[in-house]
Amino acid sequence: MNLFNTIYTGSNQALAAAEGLLKKAIEEKGIDHKVAFPETAYSLPIIYAATGQKMNTLQDLEGAIGVVKSLIDEQPRLEPALNAGLATAVSAEIIEAVKYALNETPYEAPCAGHISDAIIRSLGVPLVTGDIPGVAVVLGECPDSETAAKVIKDYQSKGLLTFLVGKVIDQAIEANVKMGLELRVIPLGYDVTSVIHVVSVAIRASLIFGGIEPGKLAEHMEYTKNRVPAFVNAFGPLSELVVSAGAGAIALGFPVITDQVVPEVPTLLLTQKDYDKVPATSLEARGIKIKITEIAIPVGFAAAFEGERVRKDD
Amino acid sequence: MEEKIYSIDPVTEELARKAEKEGIETLWDRKKVMKTPCGFGEQGLCCRICAMGPCRISPTEGKGAQKGICGATADVIIARNLARMIAAGTATHSDHGRDIAHVLHMAKRDGNYKITDEKKLLNLAKEWEVEIENRDIYDIAHEVAEIALNEFGKPFGTLRFLERAPEQRKSVWEKNDIRTGAIDKEIATIMHSTHIGCCADAKDLVHKGMRASLADGWGGSMIGTEFSDILFGVPVPRETEANLGVLEEDQVNIIVHGHEPSLSEMMVLAAEDPELLQLAKEVGAKGINLSGMCCTANEVTMRHGVKIAGNLNQQELAVLTGAVEAIIVDVQCIFPALAPLTKCYHTKFITTSPKAKITGATHMEFEEEKALQSAKEIVREAVLNFKNRDTKKVFIPKTKSHAVVGYSVEAIKSQLDRVVNSQLDEGGTLKPLADCIASGVIRGAAGVVGCNNPKVKHDYGHVELMKELIKNDVIVVTTGCAAQAAAKAGLMSKEARKLAGKGLAKVCELVDIPPVLHMGSCVDISRILVLVSELAKLLKVDISDLPVVGAAPEWMSEKAIAIGTYVVTSGIDTWLGVVPPVTGSDIIVDILTNKAEDIVGAKFHVEPDPHKAAQQMIERIEEKREALGLATEAVEA
Repeated sequence: MNLFNTIYTGSNQALAAAEGLLKKAIEEKGIDHKVAFPETAYSLPIIYAATGQKMNTLQDLEGAIGVVKSLIDEQPRLEPALNAGLATAVSAEIIEAVKYALNETPYEAPCAGHISDAIIRSLGVPLVTGDIPGVAVVLGECPDSETAAKVIKDYQSKGLLTFLVGKVIDQAIEANVKMGLELRVIPLGYDVTSVIHVVSVAIRASLIFGGIEPGKLAEHMEYTKNRVPAFVNAFGPLSELVVSAGAGAIALGFPVITDQVVPEVPTLLLTQKDYDKVPATSLEARGIKIKITEIAIPVGFAAAFEGERVRKDD
Repeated sequence: MEEKIYSIDPVTEELARKAEKEGIETLWDRKKVMKTPCGFGEQGLCCRICAMGPCRISPTEGKGAQKGICGATADVIIARNLARMIAAGTATHSDHGRDIAHVLHMAKRDGNYKITDEKKLLNLAKEWEVEIENRDIYDIAHEVAEIALNEFGKPFGTLRFLERAPEQRKSVWEKNDIRTGAIDKEIATIMHSTHIGCCADAKDLVHKGMRASLADGWGGSMIGTEFSDILFGVPVPRETEANLGVLEEDQVNIIVHGHEPSLSEMMVLAAEDPELLQLAKEVGAKGINLSGMCCTANEVTMRHGVKIAGNLNQQELAVLTGAVEAIIVDVQCIFPALAPLTKCYHTKFITTSPKAKITGATHMEFEEEKALQSAKEIVREAVLNFKNRDTKKVFIPKTKSHAVVGYSVEAIKSQLDRVVNSQLDEGGTLKPLADCIASGVIRGAAGVVGCNNPKVKHDYGHVELMKELIKNDVIVVTTGCAAQAAAKAGLMSKEARKLAGKGLAKVCELVDIPPVLHMGSCVDISRILVLVSELAKLLKVDISDLPVVGAAPEWMSEKAIAIGTYVVTSGIDTWLGVVPPVTGSDIIVDILTNKAEDIVGAKFHVEPDPHKAAQQMIERIEEKREALGLATEAVEA
């Protein structure tokens, strides 16, 4: 199937999933049930940034479904394809919001799920100063834990902030990758839709630090493209849903680098089968340049290890 | 009476009105005097290849003359006329190519003509298996030039450049016996076969035309382009300006018009000569302002950024500004009307080629053996003519547009290197372009080429077609007068990506190019052949499988017919905005617009409305994408 059709298929799947879950939630909790992410002043940040509207109840989310539908126009052109990617992002946010509506703590350790405003504000300064040179979103499943650890540790040692989504979380744990906000490795969740919590970080950066008004979607996309140095590594077989979410990332200006064979788009969607080269390929694609002073020492050395706690057993 | 609008270009419109008001004759007036064109000629139904004629065939079946005196049917007559148009077009491009090969053959280390791009020469030498180790570069050049010159008349074998096509295309040609032999032989064969009492099989005559046309695209034109690059440099992106607003009120304005860069390159040098600049000061001018017209303009703008004065339909209007000291011409597409017209002004009309003398013009023969000196003498004439300018008559329109030009295949590759990830790919290939097409970010590519024709509102066909294509994420490459129309309309400015669809606009932004790429003169359409061949090889398909189309919205010359034919024969569907003189034969129309597809995988389409043509081209592109199943697999470089 061609790339754009894959995206549209994924976007429709995401839409159907969002509609189904929302319907179930309304049946269970009633249409006026409250909807909110914890510890944020930006409601459902993606929908807020895109439309300027705050979502308060499940009923509001029904309206947001209309936004998703309006973004899916299956024409064989890049613009509607990118819009369909954004549609998937909105669907994912609806799905994640419903999770929080149905359950007070849908995410448990090690997964972080939704990231609070306070954390985003604390990340703001190191992002601006370049202390955090980039944001890596590692998604899917690597061929083995060692590979996953190698890629993640590479980002960690360069000071990047890395978000994990999917089975790669287990692989990282298995390979003893140390995680936590202070270590700059944050597992988000096992479902693909949990990737939305990092999109939410980028969008809130635009709202908070960029001062861009809610509802001005094009300006938000311009800000994320120019100011949030993020990229996506998608490992393992790619479902239509993941490809469609990837289009959303590309719409925000974030390149997608995968180990799978896909129709490549220069600088935006690349296939890198050599895992040793994934980090370098990704950094180059996102235009992230890191000044490195290598110190020959036998342990990892980076700002990412600053908050590390050495426990008794270690 | 309703005022006829000549052009979408305000400068042209303004000057055409001025001519009208002052009673000065232009091509539009002469077109008007022609009244309704002869229906027999228009449909290709008249023949005058022998003295038994002229014969003409009735366009109505079963009524009036159905055969010529020799018995030739309408189909045969039209096929012969068409084949001769192809032969003439092929001959012009080929003679152009031959001249440039001769110039390389005479190139000397201390001569006027030198080798500028050694790398391109060495690549060609390797391609043609010329020994390069431990040899003087000029010895290599002379051997390569000799091989090229032999391509015109070699007794055996097929054209060397045909080997550049993808294997699939070569076997299509092989299977259909279209592999061209010596260039001149193919032209001579057509003239032979179209003589009275020779070939009387319409289908076979079209086949001969297809075969001869390859001697143009993959022969004469390709030799012209390759050797011009070797001698004068491979074009790289550079800024320029276009339209008659480039003429300067206080400078000596010289326009070079015609085709061959061997003359115009020397004119560029001569116009920078300190002695001549001093002379210009002495006659009261601030300097020498060289600008170009038609394909000569394309050659010098691609390599030096020389400003583009205008395209075919503007050649007379340039004189009407009253500010041109000299129009210096060589060969092809030079209106003889310039001779009487320039008499109304101080403008000197100088012919330079023994191949194109024009009654009423000043002939100053350009001698290639002492090229620079020759050029200087011509420029001197122009400078000395400055004092004859009648300032009361001067009217220079203010309008001109910014353009970025110089997109040779090599330059396109180097632009594409900007988006190559060094961890993944080597630079210097078209892979990023192939990727963009395969993924669907760009839907396809269109070559828009050709002339101006007073049957079409000037530049309307070109500009509207290009706008519609880029809006739909189809990247446009262009040459010739079509390219100049685009430059004047601002489509070659990087800003023009705003007019493109999001996919193409994104690519333009990343690669830092305008959405419409100027690839040069009419012989430089061979660059497009090289480009599509490399693209086809990357995608491992035939040229006819690519989502690629061609168009000549305002064509007029026999060269355009030859070009259109070799483009179709190379596997690219081609849209014509002007109906060719073949409509008197259903058989010929059927071959050209239908059956050709079974033979070479492409055909002609005739659609005078550029918006409709664009839609058809886009549909065709989508059909080809569908057939290819594009984007199911990644491109492997």
